[in-house]
Amino acid sequence: MIESAIVSTAITEWSDAGKSTPPLIDGLAEVTVRALQSAKLRPKDLDAIISNTTALPFNEGAYITISAQHFAHRLAEKIGTHGTRCMNVSAACASASISLAVADAMIKAGIIKVALVVGADNSPRGFYFQGPSILDADLAVSYPHKVVGVTNPSYWAMWARRRAYEMGKPVEEIKELMALVKELHSTYGAHNPYARYKKVFTAKEVLSSPVVCDPLHLYMICAVSRGAGAVIVAEMETAKKLTNKPVKIIASNFGSVVYGEPSPRLVYFATSGGVKAKRPFIEWYKVIEGAYKQAGISAEDIDILECHDTSCFHTINWIDQVKGWEREETDKLIENRQIRHDGDFPVNLSGGTSSFGEAVMCQALMMVHELTLQLRGEAGERQAKKKLQIGMCTAYGAYGSYGAIILEKGW
Amino acid sequence: MSKEKKKIPIIEGLFTWPSDKPQLIGSRCPSCGSVQFPKSNVCNNPDCNHSKTPEEILLSTKGTLYSFTIHRYDLREPFSYHKAPYAIGAIELPEGITVIARLTVTEEEKLRIGMPMVLKVDKLYEDEENVYLTYYFQPEEEK
Repeated sequence: MIESAIVSTAITEWSDAGKSTPPLIDGLAEVTVRALQSAKLRPKDLDAIISNTTALPFNEGAYITISAQHFAHRLAEKIGTHGTRCMNVSAACASASISLAVADAMIKAGIIKVALVVGADNSPRGFYFQGPSILDADLAVSYPHKVVGVTNPSYWAMWARRRAYEMGKPVEEIKELMALVKELHSTYGAHNPYARYKKVFTAKEVLSSPVVCDPLHLYMICAVSRGAGAVIVAEMETAKKLTNKPVKIIASNFGSVVYGEPSPRLVYFATSGGVKAKRPFIEWYKVIEGAYKQAGISAEDIDILECHDTSCFHTINWIDQVKGWEREETDKLIENRQIRHDGDFPVNLSGGTSSFGEAVMCQALMMVHELTLQLRGEAGERQAKKKLQIGMCTAYGAYGSYGAIILEKGW
Repeated sequence: MSKEKKKIPIIEGLFTWPSDKPQLIGSRCPSCGSVQFPKSNVCNNPDCNHSKTPEEILLSTKGTLYSFTIHRYDLREPFSYHKAPYAIGAIELPEGITVIARLTVTEEEKLRIGMPMVLKVDKLYEDEENVYLTYYFQPEEEK
């Protein structure tokens, strides 16, 4: 069987969102050149360029063909190719993890040997709205803001409150746990030159920040950011010639809507019908379960996690799902600070989306970059103390979009 | 004398209006029984044979509170008529789906998960010409 591995990665420093300059394509080109140089490759060596699209059409009348939906092709024109395969992937916040999965699959299928997975994004400030297009009116996804006033954090707040309820705990407890998550993540953001926020937020400060939608306070919710990332993936034999530390992709799974999911799914008016699954967040769990199956491993084999924490609740829920254990165990893990770099199960040593803010469609590239550094032992002050062999990256997005990537030392 | 403003739903097709007893409008698949809100032209059950088109149904006006939050920030344009504080809830209906809704009360102490809730259609906002209505759920004990 053909294996694939990450050869090199590069990201920009995540920064304030909302400005139209410099053009995102410039950031894409910058990280691409850095990743190529690091791998000692030239654009002509790329058999495929797979990019995310972007969130740019948010709030504007979107036309059918815009450059932001065709970054791979724009980049190909900008850096030059001899007609390489180009593809643009859209899956909300899970987009980049799925771009990587597509590259991985093409390599393992023997279609290509070297792929560039690339992405950039910039978002409007404030709550995300799915504005109706002037060319399409889709009631199910465009109108919950209009009719009910629901925002992404309001779904997350309801999930957090429900978790506390199902565990028989007062809501204050999950609020304190989320504040602690922010404190721990921000500790690492402060040591990451690419993080947008390099300040340590104490749990007390987090709990003193304004309430957005109870139990979520402002500092428990990620900001929106601008950023870009590039990852070069190659067939293993090729990868070994390009680096002495190839990071093997042992799973790259993605998932979507599960009929019977009991938790209200982001941006929809209602859950699906049918028999409700016994466990909430079955959609999150299934993509992880599928990744374990691909890799032939189980939860115990994961040494380190980079998870998509658009709110501090997400970190808690990802640990619930990745571990697949009783939720009380997650609470103990966090309370005992075992998600730190010197803990049993380090989580988001990058600083997380909590410290980066979210460059929506390319966020997973930041996580893959961090995992690659961690597995290679090159994360400096953020380096996990324990011996690392296998790491996982999980991505969550609106509309029911999920990604799970598992990486292993390939040397 | 000023003309009385017209009361119109914020979006057509979500609830029956005008009506003395408004109800949410959903759909049920005649083949497998799967219920959806808002109504859909296709069944969403992956195991369904799709032999029949979903039929419009009116959903129960009573449910239970699955979870809730109080929104403390105003929304920006074009939804700036959502003025904080306002409450959002998820309501489990007997049909087996959980619906996101505005709640009529914004005091956290008056809300608890599992409490019975009833549907109510009421004003969301008004402009110079119209009063725009949306659906709310209200604690049954507050009725």
